[in-house]
Amino acid sequence: MTDTCVNFDRVNVTRNGITILESVSASVPRGSCTAVVGPNGAGKTTLLLALLGQIPYRGTIRLEAPGSNTMPRIGYVPQRLPVDRGMPITVLDLMVMGHARRPLWCGISRIHRDRALHWLSCVHASTLAKRALGVLSGGEWQRILLALALQQEPDLLLLDEPAAGIDLRGEHLLCELMESLRERHGFTQLMVSHDLATVTHHASHVILLNRSVIAAGKPADVLVPHFLSIAFGLHMGVAAAPWLHTSREGSDR
Amino acid sequence: MNLSGLAGFENTFMQLALAGLLLLAPIVAIMGVHAVQMRMAFFSDAISHSVFAGVAISLLFNVHPQWTMPLFGLLIGIAIMAIRRASTLSTDTVIAVTFSAVVAFGLAIISRNPGITRELPRFLYGDILTVDTAGLIRLAVCLVGVIVLQVIGGNRLLYIGISPVLAAAHGIAVRRYQYLYAALLALVIINALWAVGVLLVTALLVVPAAAARNLAASTRGLFWWSFAISASSSVIGLVLSAQPWARTASGPTILLCAFTWFLFSLAANRSRIH
Repeated sequence: MTDTCVNFDRVNVTRNGITILESVSASVPRGSCTAVVGPNGAGKTTLLLALLGQIPYRGTIRLEAPGSNTMPRIGYVPQRLPVDRGMPITVLDLMVMGHARRPLWCGISRIHRDRALHWLSCVHASTLAKRALGVLSGGEWQRILLALALQQEPDLLLLDEPAAGIDLRGEHLLCELMESLRERHGFTQLMVSHDLATVTHHASHVILLNRSVIAAGKPADVLVPHFLSIAFGLHMGVAAAPWLHTSREGSDR
Repeated sequence: MNLSGLAGFENTFMQLALAGLLLLAPIVAIMGVHAVQMRMAFFSDAISHSVFAGVAISLLFNVHPQWTMPLFGLLIGIAIMAIRRASTLSTDTVIAVTFSAVVAFGLAIISRNPGITRELPRFLYGDILTVDTAGLIRLAVCLVGVIVLQVIGGNRLLYIGISPVLAAAHGIAVRRYQYLYAALLALVIINALWAVGVLLVTALLVVPAAAARNLAASTRGLFWWSFAISASSSVIGLVLSAQPWARTASGPTILLCAFTWFLFSLAANRSRIH
């Protein structure tokens, strides 16, 4: 058994002749909370999509499940979903549709309902079960997507910009929630973020990315002016406490 | 149910038509919900228009269109799905390109055979009253196919409709279900053409589901509303069209009934929100 959960080895992604990721080699320690940090357009989301097998890449990405040869189970929390606001699909329906075979028009069995409600209660969202997806707020969506990912009972939990679209208090609550869940379930957490505040407070391992890996290791070793100025541009290195910079920019996809 | 008291229903062809429509109602109700949720209405338009090419091929190779139409529809359905999965072009562009190529090819070949152009209105407008026992059997087979797909992957299709990337990450065989759905949708559309024709077959699929979307409060309700609207519109439309004072074509009458449901659903939805 190794102590690595994901290993990227010289991963290259090129799209329409533009290099998005160049020889990215990094590893995600098992049980860690690893953050991939970088400016917009650094290829952070691309790295996640390559890991999920959604885009072609060169190089190898190795996923290792603890103690066996099986693939690790993945839970994925996307940044946002383009949801049809008028569609009367409820949170409970969404929680059940990936697991139950019985078509939803025949009703939901007690086992699946209880299971879904259990995971919803883990993210403090039991009261949202009957709510339609279209009326959820950004923070509520984030928690539902988290419950959906946790329901996979993942070995590896992937989060794409968990702080985007929610306010600072919501972000703080989400991070605390993640920490307690990680303690209880023992998964590895890999998140993508351009928000240094989140990272410095919660990550145990950081991969600083701008097309290729600039530095990787403990937050205190990586998030230093020297590396930050390389990744984000000169002005970041000058600020005394760069992680106080809490802008909320959009996707870098 | 004794319908023979109503004008028109003493005829065998009316009874066959009613049987056909009642087989078709659950098929289009279920497939329509998925088409709306997966944003595939335009996709179904492209498949229905592929019948022109299906007819053209039957002329070129001297085979009965009964074989070339479903085969070519299937081919187009799978081809569009493949391009859609592989291409970075937006889906509607992919479909529009395929769509126009198929129609142009069909019309070019058909126009060389003046004899067949007389047949074209039958494809364009359809005629519910021409359904025969063989047609009913084909519909029954489609219904079995739809139910089987529902049991093995109905919920998974809904998940893919939410987000293919999320569904794939969570262990759903996205590609398999997308192709299965596309293939079945192609067969359903080709076998539903007799009812309303190329021009309106997408509406048959989409209007009940769109109205249901406004009326239902859960996924379960979505399917049942879609079925109720589809079945009631079929029966009412067929009965109305057969009345001596109406004498309208059955297909369009059925769709007008469904559209009335849709208008009602809009009003109901507005009053629910406010």
